[in-house]
Order: sequence, then C-alpha cells, then structure tokens
Amino acid sequence: MAAFLQWRRFVFFDRETVKDPIENGKNFILPNGISACDSGRGHIVLGDILIWFLTRSLQLSSFQAYKLRVTHLFQLKQHSILVSVGQDEHGINPLVKVWNTDKRDSGSPLCTRIFPAIPGNKPTEVSCLSVHENLNFMAIGFTDGSVVLTKGDITRDRHSKTLTLHEGNSPVTGLAFRQAGKVTHLFVVNLEKVQCYTLSVKEYPRLELDTHGCALRCSALTDPSQDSQFIVAGNECVYLYQPDERGPCFAFDGHKILVHWHRGYLLLLTQDSKSPNNKETSPTEKHVLTIYDLDNKFIAYSAAFDDIIDVLAEWGSFYILTRDGKMFVLQEKDTQTKLEMLFKKNLFVMAINLAKSQHLDKDGLSEIFRQYGDHLYVKGDHDGAIQQYIRTIGKLEPSYVIRKFLDAQRIHNLTAYLQALHRQSLANADHTTLLLNCYTKLKDSSKLEEFIKSSESEVHFDVEIAIKVLRQAGYHSHAVFLAEKHAHHEWYLKIQLEDLKNYQEALRYIGRLPFEQAETNMKHYGKTLMHHVPESTTVLLKKLCTDYHVVPCSVEGAYDLCSSGNLWLQANSEEFIPIFANNPRELHAFLEHMIKVEPFSPQGVYDTLLELRLQDWAHEQDPEKKEVLQRAALSLLRSDNTVFDKALVLCQMHSFKEGVLYLYEKGKLYQQIMHYHMQNEEYSKVVEACKHYGNQEVCLWEQALGYFARKEEDCKAYISEVLQHIDLNNLMPPLLVVQTLAHNSTATLSVIKDYLINKLQRESQQIEEDERKIRQYREETANLRSEIQELRTSAKIFQKTKCTMCNSPLELPSVHFLCGHSFHQHCFESYAESEAECPTCTPENRKVMDMLRAQDQKRDLHDHFNRQLRGSNDGFSVVADYFGRGVFNKLTLITDPPGAKAGPGSLEADLQRDLLIHTKRNV
Amino acid sequence: FVAFYILQYYITVILKFASVGKSCLLLQFTDKRFQPVHDLTIGVEFGARMITIDGKQIKLQIWDTAGQESFRSITRSYYRGAAGALLVYDITRRDTFNHLTTWLEDARQHSNSNMVIMLIGNKSDLESRREVKKEEGEAFAREHGLIFMETSAKTASNVEEAFINTAKEIYEKIQEGVFDINNEANGIKIGPQHAATNSSLAGGQGGQQAGGGCC
Repeated sequence: MAAFLQWRRFVFFDRETVKDPIENGKNFILPNGISACDSGRGHIVLGDILIWFLTRSLQLSSFQAYKLRVTHLFQLKQHSILVSVGQDEHGINPLVKVWNTDKRDSGSPLCTRIFPAIPGNKPTEVSCLSVHENLNFMAIGFTDGSVVLTKGDITRDRHSKTLTLHEGNSPVTGLAFRQAGKVTHLFVVNLEKVQCYTLSVKEYPRLELDTHGCALRCSALTDPSQDSQFIVAGNECVYLYQPDERGPCFAFDGHKILVHWHRGYLLLLTQDSKSPNNKETSPTEKHVLTIYDLDNKFIAYSAAFDDIIDVLAEWGSFYILTRDGKMFVLQEKDTQTKLEMLFKKNLFVMAINLAKSQHLDKDGLSEIFRQYGDHLYVKGDHDGAIQQYIRTIGKLEPSYVIRKFLDAQRIHNLTAYLQALHRQSLANADHTTLLLNCYTKLKDSSKLEEFIKSSESEVHFDVEIAIKVLRQAGYHSHAVFLAEKHAHHEWYLKIQLEDLKNYQEALRYIGRLPFEQAETNMKHYGKTLMHHVPESTTVLLKKLCTDYHVVPCSVEGAYDLCSSGNLWLQANSEEFIPIFANNPRELHAFLEHMIKVEPFSPQGVYDTLLELRLQDWAHEQDPEKKEVLQRAALSLLRSDNTVFDKALVLCQMHSFKEGVLYLYEKGKLYQQIMHYHMQNEEYSKVVEACKHYGNQEVCLWEQALGYFARKEEDCKAYISEVLQHIDLNNLMPPLLVVQTLAHNSTATLSVIKDYLINKLQRESQQIEEDERKIRQYREETANLRSEIQELRTSAKIFQKTKCTMCNSPLELPSVHFLCGHSFHQHCFESYAESEAECPTCTPENRKVMDMLRAQDQKRDLHDHFNRQLRGSNDGFSVVADYFGRGVFNKLTLITDPPGAKAGPGSLEADLQRDLLIHTKRNV
Repeated sequence: FVAFYILQYYITVILKFASVGKSCLLLQFTDKRFQPVHDLTIGVEFGARMITIDGKQIKLQIWDTAGQESFRSITRSYYRGAAGALLVYDITRRDTFNHLTTWLEDARQHSNSNMVIMLIGNKSDLESRREVKKEEGEAFAREHGLIFMETSAKTASNVEEAFINTAKEIYEKIQEGVFDINNEANGIKIGPQHAATNSSLAGGQGGQQAGGGCC
C-alpha cells in the first residue's frame, strides 16, 4: 500500500562515490567523528574537535576552534561568516563563536566574537542554531525549551542585545528565520508545537501553528520561490507552514531523521523501515534518502545509504556524508535527459511541468507538447492530442498537425486546432479555407457564426476566400454577413441574389453603397432585381438617376460624395432602360418620373417612353382612356425630344395615325401624308391634305388625281374637286388629265365634262383674245407705218398755236418737232435735255429705248434662262418669251441720230420695234 | 462592520483508484483550468482565492484532502477549524455515493457542529455514464441537511457557485452570530492586515467526502 500511495519515482541524480584526488581509485576519506557540518561560500565546513574546511578540489584544512568539541556550525550563505557552538571545558558550558573566514589570524579565521549561550541563569545544552542572513538576528535553541534571540550585529558584542524568547518544557528542535519583504518571522518547532514569532513587530507576537512538533533536524525552510514555507517532518506527514497558517501536508511515511531543502528539492532522510531488525547485526544504520519535487509531485531520487551524517548542497551537487567516512556526490541530470526519461514513460504532463519549473525555453516546451500530442494521437486520444498540438502553435509547422488529423478524418479536432491557429493570427488562407470547410462539414453553424463574428476588430483570415468557401458550402447567410462586414459588395450581392434570393435586402444594400458602386451594381443586377422586386427597384433607380444620397455611415467605406457635387451623382437614366425589359409598367413609371424631374434626359428615355405610351395606347380598349393616352403620346412627340426616325418607325409600328401624320408634317413629307391617307382610303383626307399642302407641293394634286383615277370605286366627287383645283391652278395640261382619268374604268365622261368644257371655253376665249390683240397690233402697226410714210414723204405743217410747255400762245421764236409738239424757244431751251429731241416725247422714248437695251443684254444670260425655265410651271412660255426677245436673231436698236435721215433699212427696224412692243404687252 | 474574512475549508478526496474530482474542482476554482491527468492527492493540498460577498473581500482557503482510508487520520485534523466543507461524490460511480454516509459521520464527528456542508455531485458532464440520479443526491442532501449541487470540473459548470454558495452560507451564519468569530477553532479569522474591526475567519472544516470505492 505504501508503494501505491507514493509519487512516481525517477532517477534524476547520478550517484558517485567521491574519490581521493591524489590517490587514484581510493575513496576520499572524511575526518572521523564529525559532530557538525554545514556548507556555503565555496566550501564544506566540518566540525569535530577542529573545524575543517573542505574545498572543491577536496583540500582539507583545519583549525582549532574549541578545546573540546564543536557541536553546531552555521555557515552564512551570503557572508563569509561562520557561527559555531562548541565547548572549551567540560560540563554544560556552550560557547558561541563567530568567525570571519575571510580574515586570517595566525592561520585560522578571525574570531570576531565569543559569548556563552545561556538562557536565563541555568546552563543548558544547545539543541539548534540559526542565523539570519542579514546578520542582525541569531537564534539558539536549547533542550530546556527556551530560545535565545540575539538582535543587532551578531558579529560584535557591543551592538547586540540578547533576550530569551520562548520558554517551554519541550526541547527546541528547529529554528528558521523567514524574511518576506520587511517582515521577519522566526519559526520555532519543538517536540510538541510549531510556532511562529513575528520579529518585525514589537513584543514579538507569537502564533501557534500546529499542535505537533518534530524531532531534531527534521525541519527546514523552503526557497523564497516556494514562499519560504517552514517544513516540519512529522512521522506521518511532512507539513508546510506559512507564518500565519497551515499549508498543505504530504503523507510521506517513515521515521524522519533529517530534512533539508535545497534548490527546489525536499531532501528527506528516513530510517529504512525494511530492515529495522538488522540494527543488531549491522554496526551501521541503514538510511533512505529521498529527494522530492513537491511542485511537480514526484520523487527525483531515492536510495539507501549507510548511516548518513548529513546531506549538504554545494558546488551544484548534493554531498552525502556517511558515518564511515565516505562521501557521495549526487549529480543532477540535465533537463533534457530528465525529459527524455519522462518521455520514455509517456509522462508528458509531468515533463511539461518539469520543463516549466526549470524555465525551459518555448522551443523546448513546444517540442514536449508535440511529443505528447504524438503520443496521445497514437494512443487514439485525438481530443487530448489536439490540445497538446494547440500548444505548439507558433513553433510547430501547422501542416504537421493538419495532415495528421486530415488523414484520421478527425474534423472535430482539426477544427479546434485551426480555431486556435486563427486566434493567434497565425493562420494563412489555406487554413481559413480548411477551417471553414470543417465548420461546414460539421454543420456547426453556431461555431461558424462565432468565428465570423468574433473577429470584430481584427480579421485573421482572408475574407474573400472565406466568402467563397461559405458560399460553396451553402452557408449563404454567413457569407453574406462577411461580405457585408468587409464591404465586398460584389460578393454580397451575388450571394444575396443568386443564392439567397433575398432581393429586397440586396436592394436595400445597394441603396447604401456609394454612388459609383451602386450604379455599377445596379446595371449588373438590375434585371434580376426588377424581375423580383419591381417597385423598390424602380424607386432606387429613380433615386440613382436623380439625387442619390448615401445613407450616412451605414456601409463601411461609404464616403460622402454628396457634398462634393451633385453632378456626379446622377446616373445616366438611359443606361438603365434595359433593366426594365419585360416590365413596361415600371419602366413607364421610371421614365415618366425621369422626364418630369429631368427635362434634359437623354433621347433614349424619350424614345422608350414613346414606345411605351404607344404600346399602351395600342392595347387600350377603353376609348376614353385611349384618348388620354393618345394625347400623352402626342405631347411627347411634340416635345421635340424624340429622334425623328425612331419615332416615325414606332408610330408606324403601332399604327398611330396622329403621330405618323404629325411626324410627316414635321418632316415636310407631304407626299407621305397623302400616301398614308391613300393607303387608308380616306378620300376626303386626301383631298384635305392636297388643299393643305398643295401650295407647298403642287404635284400633290396630280397624284391625288392619279390616285382617284385608279380607284375603281365611285369617287367622282373627289375627282371633280381635284380637277377643280387643277383647273384653278392650271396644274396639269388637260391632255394629261384625260390620260390619267382614262385609267379609271368607272370614271365617266360626265366627271370630266365640266372640266373639259370649262377648259375648252377658256382656251377659245384665250384664242379670241389673242386674235383680237393681233388684230389690234396690226392696225397699230399699219397706222405707224403710214405715219412714217407720211413723215418721209409729205411736208409737215406746224399749226400749233400754243406752246406745249407753257400752254400759252406760241410766239416767235418757236421750236417745232415732227412729232407735232411746238415750244417757245425759251421754254424749249429751259426744259429740253438735248436740242434734237422733243422734251415731251423724250421720257416715252427713253423708256422704250431702255427696254430694248435691257432685253438685248439679258438675252445672253443663260443661267438666268435656265433658272427661269426650271422654276416655271410652263416652260414653253418662257422659251417663247426668250424667243420674243430675239434670242435667235439679233435685235438692233435704231435711234434717229440727230439730223441723220433714216435709211431705207430702217423700216425693218421699226417693224421690229412694233413687234417687240406688242410682245411685251402680251406678256 | 467591515470584514475581511478568511474562510477555510477542506474537501476530501476519497477514492483509491480514481478521484471523484475534488482536486480538479479546486484547480478549476482557483486557477480556472482543468487538468484531466491529476496525480492522486497524498495528504492535503491547498488553494486560496479571494472572493467578494456582500461587498466584503473574503479570502477562501481551501484544503483539498486525500480520499484514501489510509490518510483519514491525517485529514481528520484538517476538519477541525474549518467553517465549511464540500462533500464530493462522482455521479458516474455509485460506490462513491454509497460511502457518503460514512464520510459525513466522520466529518461531523471531528468538526465544529456549525460547519456548513455542501454535497457535490461532480462530473455532471458525463451524463451518459451517470449512475447516480440527481434526485438521489437531492434526497440525500435533504435528509442530512446539506446543500446540494451538481458540478463539472471539466466544463467549470457550477464550480464557482459551489464554492461561493458555501462561502455565502458561512457568511450568513456569521451574521446570525452562529459562529464566534473570535474563536479560531471555528475556522474564521479577521484578516491580519486590516483594521482591527475586521474579522475573519478561518474556518474550516471539513471534510467531506464523497463516495467511496474501495480497492
């Protein structure tokens, strides 16, 4: 049972017998009869009669300290001060001597102080001794139960006070000073009690810690790193004490002989319980030395020795002195060796603890964790293994672990590992992908959520990859969350629309994006959105195309463009039109809105709107509504914002008569208008159109006539109306009219009779008129000729009695002209421009002359002629006119030179002039 | 009345083969960690933690006692002077529950009669291996005037509550004057570093135990 209740046992120390350095192979022999020993300051101090110093090179030196014997030694660790108790004379008369081992006095250390150790007035045996390292306290315990405390510089008589602290009946068995900060405690243990004095408080208050004590040399103080606890080894247990209370206890069985605390180890010497009966047979006692590591709970070494005097720690090892003069050394193994021993036994937890208490570096620790993990993994404890692997993060290559668990299909563990990796920000994109895959495989959406959402401040992973993975795995809402949080708009929308089908949400999201992104995304996803949530989409589009404002701060990365100019913030509405495919109603609303708020919208907007209105119009059954729609469409056409061609095509497609006509008119396509009516067989409209536009384009009438002529139906009324107009305006030669009408099988003569009669009448009238004129001109010509003849041949009698100029009776001198005018000479002179002409006839003559000259000049202006010919609707008359002007025969102008007689040829010229005049009149 | 209390109490570890988790409970309470592999307690271990009850700082000193029969004599001495105790059994092992009576008698016999005892059914995370129903634990607690709670040292469920409730119970008893705070044997002591009016206590008693299996 005892074995079972013990800690694990290791051999962390190598035991060797110390050899004599001079004589090879021989053991080193200690002086005989050692009664006290201690160590420190680079040497071991032994005391019998002499005080011996043993150096590391095993050189012994000694000096005589007492005359009889040395009973106690205390070597301070921080000062070269040695305190001894011994006897110079027989009887009970202990003397305390304080030595300074640095100073020499004739070969031996300098003794700085000697005083007798006597509590009260009765001399008693000293049982134990302790000195505070600050040299201000020394305590001496006596077998009668009292403790003498010396305060002040203990190396000098003068400066110290001595007082008796503790009186009791039980022999004092142990003393220890404990310094913690400025507080000094003295632990005192006797056979019955454990007590503690607080020396830093006046009166030295005492606290009883326990009601059992221990034997001599069975108490010690732990290192400050162990909280400087007082160790008391009772027979059943080893107890630890704080100055004010009990601490833990350890059930280490056996009769304790000696307790030491060195360098983190508890050294416990017990009597060998297995051979208590051998005492008689063997001259020496068997002792068991056990070295405990209380922190890590194991036995670092345990071995039996013959009758040990003491165990000392010096030069980094433990030295065991035995009664038979031998000295053993226990050399501690190095940490690596120890760890390997633990590994061999698979005691990884212990190894880890040990490594920590030995302050092993991180690499070393991580190696232990890895080995532990490997071990657990092999054992099949994957959960445990992953815990260990997680602790290697940062040192061990993650792929090592990941591969292991991937092979084993331990997704759960792998997840834990990857999580830890991410927490420490050591994960790369692959790790993220893997982790997310793990989550999705495990269907652990809550963890997934936590993972995604926990990384509020920092992102340990590649967001894009995460989104992709999540999306693939069908964790759309998570992907969306990520995308939204990290402003991956594209992804957000893609998932929202393609996977989640959450159109409203997507729309709302777009609405919060900065303008450019909103615009791009809208173009991209508009169709889908329109398909599913038309109203809201339209609203957003309207906003986008008019005054888009980002809702402040709602989306990461949104920046306030609004202030920098609204011009930027209007999308081109035309570009969004395709989005509305299949949804004319919304498109309609959108366009109407656009036109209303934005008069300068792109043409596409108007075109599209027109198309829509026409469609509506075309499909509308209710005449009233149709009327309204028609007005709307027309007003749009009239707004002049549409493209003519497109609008025309649209109107034609939808048979929108008013629109078509309007457009024709606008485009001056009068023929088209008429053709349109013709096609629709609306005769009255045809006629109307002719009336309307006939002025601009005369051939309309002809066409109308041709149209009606071809009509098989009875449209005489129209024909006659058309004919009237033709007639009125003399648009067509009658022959042509007849020819045209001849096509019509139904048109009877009666239709044309009036026209023809009318025409013929006028023709004949004209002829008569012309003939009359001819006659008239002939007569005139004859008169003129006869007059000329007369002037040439007979004498002219001037009978005028009055002056043509002043109308008063003629007097001499007077001037007479052949033309029959007579003037006073003075009248003539004051009026006449030239002497040869009659002032009265001159204007008339000049007029005629000018006319002739002008005609003569114009005759050669061919361009002008051409123009006139083309511009006129009766080319013949133009040609005739020119002919009349003498285009073909030279027209010579005959003037009567003053005083010159007209030659015989001049008659001809006169004739021609007559002809000319006549022609002119005729024109 | 300002108070700085020190309450001390023990938990005993009872089994020889496997612990019912007392040491784990303590570790969870004082260090907030769980160590599944735990060497068996030899003797008595010790832990402390500051808590605040009713605005007062209280230092809980907790003794974790060994559960084996062979240590009973050692651990008994720790019952004395404890103000409270946690008696722990393992819900996955009926034998640990069956031995409760023995341990309870032992604790009552060696402790202050006012000691607050809480019965703890540990390892509540191992529901699938449960052998002792929660109702049984409750019934036992009622019968013997104990407070009852099920805990899991592994998941830390109820661990905090178990210790703190015990401390509260002790605190209430102090307020009611049941404990004489000037008698250290009650396990309560006024904190030494505070004003004279502080009282505290070390209390402790306890041992308790939980189940018991024998080898």
